[in-house]
Amino acid sequence: MTAYVEECRREWKRLGVPDLLADEMATDLEADLAEAQADGVSAAEIVGESDPRRFAAAWASERGLVSAPPPKKKSRKWLWIVLAVVVAFFLFVGGMSALALGLLAPTSVHTSSRPPVRVQGFPATKAVPVPSLLGLKACHAERIALNAGLSVGKLPTRRCDAVVIRQRPAAGQLVGPGTRLRLRLGRS
Amino acid sequence: MFTIMRCMANESRRSQMLRGVLDLCLLAVVVDEPAYGYEMTRRLRERGLSIVGEGSIYPLLGRLEREGLVATHRSASDGGPPRKYYSASQSGQRALTEGVQAWRDVRGEVDSVLSTIEAEVAE
Repeated sequence: MTAYVEECRREWKRLGVPDLLADEMATDLEADLAEAQADGVSAAEIVGESDPRRFAAAWASERGLVSAPPPKKKSRKWLWIVLAVVVAFFLFVGGMSALALGLLAPTSVHTSSRPPVRVQGFPATKAVPVPSLLGLKACHAERIALNAGLSVGKLPTRRCDAVVIRQRPAAGQLVGPGTRLRLRLGRS
Repeated sequence: MFTIMRCMANESRRSQMLRGVLDLCLLAVVVDEPAYGYEMTRRLRERGLSIVGEGSIYPLLGRLEREGLVATHRSASDGGPPRKYYSASQSGQRALTEGVQAWRDVRGEVDSVLSTIEAEVAE
């Protein structure tokens, strides 16, 4: 892995990392890699990145030693070109098929003059299922209820660790948004 | 094919989840006793966390250092060259405490949503 470390050192110098810091980082990295190798730990677990330039740049950047972001991964432009060609092919085939069907099939247009049907009796907003809060700590239960769009009575902070031993409405019932849940608390 | 794609998706999910707490894990392993880079990786492994495929800890350590969450000093290691030791600074300890609380809150909320789901997935 000495070659990897040397490549890192070159990258740090190229990025303008002061020599002292670059040498220090390289020395630490080399010692760590040697120790890992002795332990049978893969270098991948230590450096995590096969490209030394990217690794070195990321480290220096996160330390605030350089302002430039790490170089991007190898371009995958060719992959996008292949993808674009495949998509274009399918669009062409699909378009030709649609054209052929359009020429052969009779054209029909459906129109309707009926007004939209309005169904009466449904609430404007969606019902909310009551979550199961039994056994949870009071503050935790309160958060879950609030996240579900429901409300609970004011819980004293000192009872945050108390446990919910009863709840109304029961879990699973559908209620309107904002419905207030009644919780009975027991000792934690 | 689907199995491979599902494995890749799971790996990606694991990475994303770890990314949010790896800094806390690093602080946690140096909060009691300073450690140098590789020693931190070793401590993570001893506690059951493998970071293979999750990138390196060095950039993250660099950020913690830049933000003043870790203090560093250079000292001789056992039989090896002098090493750079990291320890949680005061603000690092505070960040760790707050981060752990946030993690527990989120974990509790997510658990309460997911706890009803069967863990066993049929292949």
